[in-house]
Amino acid sequence: MNNAITLAAIIIVVNSLLCLYRTIKGPTVQDRLLGINIVGTKALTVLVLASFIFQSNFYLDVAIVYALLNFIVVVVISRYLETSGKRQ
Amino acid sequence: MNLIIDIAVLLLLLIGCFFFLAGTIGVLRLPDIYARLHPSTKCDTLGAGSVLLAMAIYSGWSGDIYRLFIIGFFLFVSSATCGHAIGRSAVKSGIACFKKETETVNLHPEK
Repeated sequence: MNNAITLAAIIIVVNSLLCLYRTIKGPTVQDRLLGINIVGTKALTVLVLASFIFQSNFYLDVAIVYALLNFIVVVVISRYLETSGKRQ
Repeated sequence: MNLIIDIAVLLLLLIGCFFFLAGTIGVLRLPDIYARLHPSTKCDTLGAGSVLLAMAIYSGWSGDIYRLFIIGFFLFVSSATCGHAIGRSAVKSGIACFKKETETVNLHPEK
């Protein structure tokens, strides 16, 4: 069972590396923000899997903080992009 | 009973990896920011949700399951909000929608 969880974590890491292509190449800022959002979600999932691979609890607390940070980053940056052009 | 739990965990991990792969392919291949929002939110809810459910079944009734449910609930709330915020900022900053370029087929080549 431990090998299966490790394999799933490796597949998710490879997927997040593929998603970085959209972050680098994306034509608009919103595309880059979307890529960062997906990479953050996948890193959270890998942290949850790592807490069961290494049998330690504190990775789950790190995953909770990572979810909060991901949410706040996306909402604040998109709000900034929405209002930044209007005040000129 | 142990075998049933193992099969359920493996099946949910497989479903989660499939939806992560589908979300990645959608984000890489779709033409537009409004179209790319759709696989990204699927990736958040279905992929991460089924992986978290698999880990919740695998952990049993220990202290980890409360943390897993907190993460899952927060992910379900925040993914919809993030998608809405990104789409709203794309609309407000005036990004044009993708339109398919229709090829002009010449039906009468001799004229």
